Amino acid sequence: MSNVDFADIRVSQQPIAGQTVPVAVVPRIRKQNYFAQIPSALQTLWSGMKLTIGYFLRPSRIVTRQYPENRATLKFPERYRASLRLEKDENGLYFCNGCRSCARACPNASLIVKTRKGLVTGKNELDAYVWRMDSCTFCNACVMACPTGALRMGPEFESAVYDRRLLIYTLNRHAGPTPDQMAKLDEEARKQVVLEKRGPYDGPVPLAGVAYPNIRPIGPPPSAQEDNA
Amino acid sequence: MHEIALRILLAAGAPPKTIAERAADALPSDPLLAAALIGGAMIGVLTFLTLLGLVLIYAERKISAHFQCRLGPMRVGPHGILQTVADTVKLLCKEDIVPTRGDQPMHLLAPFLSLGATVLVLLVIPYSPLLHVADMNIGVLYVTAISGFGVMGILLGGWSSNNKWALLGAMRSGAQIISYEISATLALLVVVLFAGTMSLRGIVESQEAGWWIWRAHGVGIVSFIVYLIASTAEINRTPFDIPEGESELTAGFHAEYSGLRFSFFFLAEFINMFVVAALASTLFLGGWMPFHIGRLAGFNQVMDLLPGGGWFFLKVSSIIFLLMWFRWTFPRLRVDQLMRLEWKILLPIGFVNLLVASFVVLYNFYPFPTEITLP
Repeated sequence: MSNVDFADIRVSQQPIAGQTVPVAVVPRIRKQNYFAQIPSALQTLWSGMKLTIGYFLRPSRIVTRQYPENRATLKFPERYRASLRLEKDENGLYFCNGCRSCARACPNASLIVKTRKGLVTGKNELDAYVWRMDSCTFCNACVMACPTGALRMGPEFESAVYDRRLLIYTLNRHAGPTPDQMAKLDEEARKQVVLEKRGPYDGPVPLAGVAYPNIRPIGPPPSAQEDNA
Repeated sequence: MHEIALRILLAAGAPPKTIAERAADALPSDPLLAAALIGGAMIGVLTFLTLLGLVLIYAERKISAHFQCRLGPMRVGPHGILQTVADTVKLLCKEDIVPTRGDQPMHLLAPFLSLGATVLVLLVIPYSPLLHVADMNIGVLYVTAISGFGVMGILLGGWSSNNKWALLGAMRSGAQIISYEISATLALLVVVLFAGTMSLRGIVESQEAGWWIWRAHGVGIVSFIVYLIASTAEINRTPFDIPEGESELTAGFHAEYSGLRFSFFFLAEFINMFVVAALASTLFLGGWMPFHIGRLAGFNQVMDLLPGGGWFFLKVSSIIFLLMWFRWTFPRLRVDQLMRLEWKILLPIGFVNLLVASFVVLYNFYPFPTEITLP
C-alpha cells in the first residue's frame, strides 16, 4: 500500500512559456493516521518477505555460473564482445578488402590493416590484419564501420597471457583476394591464386619472428583456434 | 512492591542458595578433580561456541545467497562447507592491529566483554530437559541484565579506537540498545506474568498445556512480534544495523579491529542471534516442550517421538531463519526512523499489551492452566 495511488495521477493541459503543455498532477501524499500505519507497515513488510522467499524457494532462478567447471556448456549473449574476428565465406576467403574504414573508425588506433597488390587480380587485397587487443576497448566502432560486414565480435574471453606483447594478434590466417574479386576471375586465373599463410604473430608487430625466453602464449589467439579446428 | 517481588521469587520454587553452596554441591571436594572438571567445562563451552559460530556463519552465507539468486560459497569442501573454517584460519593468522593513539587497554578488553556477555547468557538457557547448565530463579531478569551488558563491549571498542566513525557507530549502538531493551523487556514481562515465574525452566514447564504465544489470548502474539522486532534491534542486525552501517560508517564500532579481536566481535554477533532465537522459543514457543493439541492423544504421542532437545533445535533454527529472512529483505532504517519506531510505536504497544495481560491474569479470564478447550 503506497501513499500515492497511481490511479489518482491526472494529466492536465497547462500554459507554460506561451505553449500548452501536458502536466502530470500528482495528488498530495495522504498521511496515514497512527493506527492505520501499523497494519499497513506489517502488510508491506510481508509483501517484501513474500518476494524474497519466492527467490529462496526456487533454486532454478539462481544466476551464478560455476565458471571453470561449466566451460563446455557456457552460453553467451549474442552481442557479447570479448574478441575480434574476421568473417569468412564458405570457401574460407575473408570478406575483408583492406579498405581501412575500421582503422579510421578506431578511437585508439588498435587496428593496423596492411594491404598489398594482388598478384593475379591486380587489385588491392588484405595482407595482414593486426588487432592490438592490449589497447582495444571493445567499443564495437570497427564492426559498425565495416562496409562489407567482414568484422564481428566473438565471445572468446579467455585471452590471458604472460606478456602484453602477446596480445597483438594478426587476425587473418592467409593473405589473398576477397570472394568478390575471386568471382570475377576465370577458371585459369583462379588456379594461379596463392593464399599465403599468416600466423597469429606474423604481422608487423614487436613479436614478429622474435622468440622471447620464458614467454609463450597460453594458447593460439581466439580466431586461430577456430581456424585450426 | 517488596511483597510482590518476594512472591515472584518464592514462586520459583526452592529458596535460592548462595553461589558458594551451589558450587560445593556441584564440584567434588578434591581440588584437582574440581579443577579438571572446570577445565573440561571450559573446553566444552569453547567447542560449543566455535561450532555454533561456524554453523551460523555458514548458514547465513548460504541463506543470504539463495535469497539473492546466488549460490554462496561452493569451493572449499562440498558446497563450501569448510569455507568458514578457512576464513577462521585466515582471521587467526592476520596481524592484530591496535591504533597507537587509541586507548590500548580498553581496545584490547572490548571484544572479550562483548563475547563474555553472550557466553554468560548461554548459561541459563534450557536446551533440553537434561541439558541445562544453571537454572536461576531470576532467569529472565538475568538474561535482560547480561545482554544489556554486551553493549559495554561495543561502546568501549568504538570509543577506545579513537576513530570518529567507530565512536559514532558505538554511540548509535548504545542509543539503540537503551531504547529497544525497554520494549524487549516489556514483551518478556507478559510471559513472566502468565507463567508466574522468572525461572526459564519454570516458564518452559508452565507451557505443557500450550505455548504462551497462542495460549495468552492474542497478548502472546503481540508480545512475540514486539520481542522479535526489539531483539533484532538489540543484536544489531539488519534492518537495525546502523551501528555498523557500512555505507555511512565504514564498519562502525569495529572499524579499527582486525584479526582475532574482530572475529570475537563477529562471533558475539552470531551467538547473540542464537541467544535471541533461544529466548524467543523458550518464552513464547514452549522451549523443549513438544507441540501438543489439547486432548488429541494420538497426535500428541506422535509429537512426543521427537525428544525435547530436537524440538528446541527446530524452534531455534526456524527463528534464526526468520531473522536471516528479515536481514536479506528489509532495508536499513535511518536513526530518526529507528527512534520513532521504538518510542512512538513499539513502546506504547508494549505498555498497553502489558496492561491487558495483567488484567487477563488478575481476573482469570483464561481457562488455563487447568483446562484446555479445542477450537
